Amino acid sequence: MEPDNPIRELLGLDLPPERQAAVVAAYRDILANLEALRSLDLTDVHPAIVFEPTAPYRQKGDAP
Amino acid sequence: MKDLWSQPIEKLAPAIRAGRISPVALTEACLDRIAQTDDRLLSFIHVSTTALDAARAAAREIAAGHWRGPLHGIPVGVKDNYLTADMPTTVGSQAPGLAFPMRDAAAVARLRAAGAVPIGKTRTHEFAWGNVTPPVRNPWDLARVPSGSSGGSGAAVAAGLCVAGLGSDTGGSIRMPAAACGVVGLKGTFGRVSRDGVVPHSWSLDHAGPLTRTVTDTALMMQVLSGYDPADPACQDQPVPDFAKSLGRPVKGLTIGVCRNHFFDGLQDDVAAATEAAIDDLAKAGAKVVEFRIPLLEFGLGAIFAIELSSSTAYHDASLRAGRVADFTPDVRTLVEMGRLVTGADYLKAEQYRMALMDEFRKVFAKVDVVVGPTTPITAWKRGEWTVQVAGQPESVLAASWRFTYPYNLTGLPAISVPCGFDRDGLPIGLQIAARPFDEPMVLRVAHAYERRHDWKDRLPVALPAAVPPVPE
Repeated sequence: MEPDNPIRELLGLDLPPERQAAVVAAYRDILANLEALRSLDLTDVHPAIVFEPTAPYRQKGDAP
Repeated sequence: MKDLWSQPIEKLAPAIRAGRISPVALTEACLDRIAQTDDRLLSFIHVSTTALDAARAAAREIAAGHWRGPLHGIPVGVKDNYLTADMPTTVGSQAPGLAFPMRDAAAVARLRAAGAVPIGKTRTHEFAWGNVTPPVRNPWDLARVPSGSSGGSGAAVAAGLCVAGLGSDTGGSIRMPAAACGVVGLKGTFGRVSRDGVVPHSWSLDHAGPLTRTVTDTALMMQVLSGYDPADPACQDQPVPDFAKSLGRPVKGLTIGVCRNHFFDGLQDDVAAATEAAIDDLAKAGAKVVEFRIPLLEFGLGAIFAIELSSSTAYHDASLRAGRVADFTPDVRTLVEMGRLVTGADYLKAEQYRMALMDEFRKVFAKVDVVVGPTTPITAWKRGEWTVQVAGQPESVLAASWRFTYPYNLTGLPAISVPCGFDRDGLPIGLQIAARPFDEPMVLRVAHAYERRHDWKDRLPVALPAAVPPVPE
């Protein structure tokens, strides 16, 4: 447990400090776009991904 | 027929079928062209040692009356993220410890079954994660990039090193190099072409498809590539239409949609002019033009970043945990490491956004047959240049290059890039045409109708003049 390094602790991104700082800096450019996305209220919209329990059967040609 | 390497499938196929051109001569012409120009273009990472054997086999079959179809004997470049049984796959990576199976991807197997001749592996940006495709150069100006990530196929097809190519498209990686290199590139509907054996980049965004010299050639390639394959979980069991039947039909009576927000924001002047001229052209040909707006597009960049980054990181997770991504190229390494920072909630919000955006386009397509706009806001930029001037403002090439293409990866809609002119520096400009899900015939119909009104497809890249002596008539 490294409370002084939440990125390593919480996200499992095990990088040297200078490398971690570079990745976080690059991510900041993208973060503004993610924050804009978060601002949308999509409560009633189902995600585009749909769980299909029969998928392995279909892929292998077996009847479920 | 002169300069075999410069001809499209639509001209070569009848001559091959009739015995006027040998697949062996055609393959030799492409191999010669590779030998004489690819030291400068750098579009191939591997040239097949069995292509001539395949061409000889094709010649024997055709001579015996067993013509398999328009791709029989046609040399095709295969992007280096498609697995191949007879050529190594690197996915553009020199990182040690990576090994990919020696088997044919479904698309490659379909091409071989149709008699096509895989002539080599074309370079990709590492793991198809980028828009530059180093070290490939643009055949219209060797100081510029071919875009990416299918830059090797785009450059090779444009320069006549192969007659057609395979690409993959996660955010625009078929259409962007098609636009930058002056060729045709189609990303079919998500689920139209199997991605089995294409090394994944982002499972729900990746599309497989062709790059060709003409719209007809794209239709011919799609006829072979399309079809259900249970080995690709996303492939859909949809009927495959006769794509060639959509060619040669007029656009009179069709409704052309033009989305005036997002797709026309921040264009280079020459791109804007060429796009408006193309829209006018379609109107003069009898199409009705309807303008509309989709304000939700404003939020798309965050959505595609969330999906693409997290998916790529999930795919590379074992390499990430083992520290092997340190051997990736710096830009790709950063993107793969960065994906760890995307939260699950952001990912699912992006998937919710996708559904909302798909519904916006559904409403648009209730009123229009196609949506037309520029493929990219910029033409090919100089190698090593990371910022370009767009509408008087500096913009990163990463942000600019895929701005108009990624909405169709988020929505999975079929979209093509077809050449629509050249900028003041002689660099190609692409026109993007999209349609309803599985309506590739409509995309091809409009693209072909536009293509026939111009001679853009007949122009050859100036940076690589014909080095191969013409083949006698």
